[in-house]
Amino acid sequence: MAPTTVFQAHVYRSLPETERSEAIVNRISKAISLGLLKVGERLPPETALSEMFGVAPSTLREALSDLRRQGIVATRRGRSGGTFIVKQPFTSEEAMRKWFRETSIAEIRDVGDEHAAIAASTVRLACERAEPHEVGRLLELARGLALSDKPETRARADSRFHIELAVLAQSPRLTNAEIRLQAEIVQALWAPLPSTRDPEQVAAEHLALARAIADDASEDAQRLMLQHIRHDIHHLVDTKLSLGYPTYQQERQ
Amino acid sequence: MTANAPASKAAAEIAAWMNALGHDVDEFAARTAGLWADRPRPFGLTPGDITKLESQAGEFLAAHEFVVGAGVIFSTEAIKGNDGGLEWWIRRQESIEKLEFDLTPGGERFYDYQNMPFFAAASRTGQQTAWGPYVDYLGLDEYILTYSAPIQLAGRFAGVAGCDIRIRTLEEIFMPVLRAIPGDAALINGSGRVVVGNSGAYLVGERIRSTPAGSEVTPVDVPHLGFSLLSPC
Repeated sequence: MAPTTVFQAHVYRSLPETERSEAIVNRISKAISLGLLKVGERLPPETALSEMFGVAPSTLREALSDLRRQGIVATRRGRSGGTFIVKQPFTSEEAMRKWFRETSIAEIRDVGDEHAAIAASTVRLACERAEPHEVGRLLELARGLALSDKPETRARADSRFHIELAVLAQSPRLTNAEIRLQAEIVQALWAPLPSTRDPEQVAAEHLALARAIADDASEDAQRLMLQHIRHDIHHLVDTKLSLGYPTYQQERQ
Repeated sequence: MTANAPASKAAAEIAAWMNALGHDVDEFAARTAGLWADRPRPFGLTPGDITKLESQAGEFLAAHEFVVGAGVIFSTEAIKGNDGGLEWWIRRQESIEKLEFDLTPGGERFYDYQNMPFFAAASRTGQQTAWGPYVDYLGLDEYILTYSAPIQLAGRFAGVAGCDIRIRTLEEIFMPVLRAIPGDAALINGSGRVVVGNSGAYLVGERIRSTPAGSEVTPVDVPHLGFSLLSPC
């Protein structure tokens, strides 16, 4: 189907090779953070990949070497060789600054609104449906955050706790929704920027949530969850503002 | 029990189905154990072993249309070093595919299989287990129920062999039996969770903490698994 307007023709114009390589890197990184591709998984062979992406082999190799440089994939030789996903990508400080610059407060608040809607229901269902021995695991995950000392491991511990709540709620859909929301915000929450979220405080909030679930206190759990997410959002907004708010004047230059 | 003939009949039918599956899972475990029968512990997993395991898992999947995944999980004490331990295959369109797990403790998507209830319980009790419904996050990433049977080597626990069934498939299998019971009824697992209900009254995944008034519980006669049937008196 041919594009019908000038605008469409602009959108759908063929991509330059550099953009294609970047697009491949972005798509694979995003797929990993969303859990569509898993750590340990082997990527299809290079020839198949470049065919599927519709790019030249050299473009694909560039994308893979970029992913290797970031430590996201590793290539092993030999019979059981291939390119494997070895690490969940953690966005660079520069990319995080860009995210804060380009994401408006309205958008941050809106992510928080969606997260609050999902997480409050999730925690209520987790209270109803979790078995006592499952709560032990949740407490362990809550403590995980206090034991982490790097932005990546903190981000992982934070999102793992929230995803576990959805698992305890017995809902594949809420689990997927939580994975998606975590992929959107957790890196920003733990980005190594001047103002950082206090891990002790977050761990304490997670522990309080886990205890409320252990006590079957569904109302308390929901209240604590809404408070917890409000703290997250306040932190994101404060971080954004602390990085400076460009004026129209600066924008025009 | 004669007062509740429909429930007894349903419980018997479910028990027959589960016992047949239980028998097959036991046999699957025994066949996999056969691969290492003459090797001293801890044994290594050779590529040849994995190929044989794959064909056994493939046979199990082929013989049980309702099963989505099958394989074995070895106890860390039974196998050498980093030889894996979680060998699981899932059904694809016309073949089977090995599931890849992150087995590094502390890894990004570490699948803590030694602590998964279907492994831990079989290890503790030496008996068959059924675990679920549960969202198998980091594993199959689906809503499933897992059956497992211990693998015994020279009388010692070496791991489990098992299979996964999607909850939506179990629903299709058990619904006709449950619908034959007049009124609200549900198949409940050993920890009081609904597996399949015959109406909106009992929804899958919900926990029944006490028997509702006007209802009674009929055990489903399957050793060790603890299933029961909740139905009107």
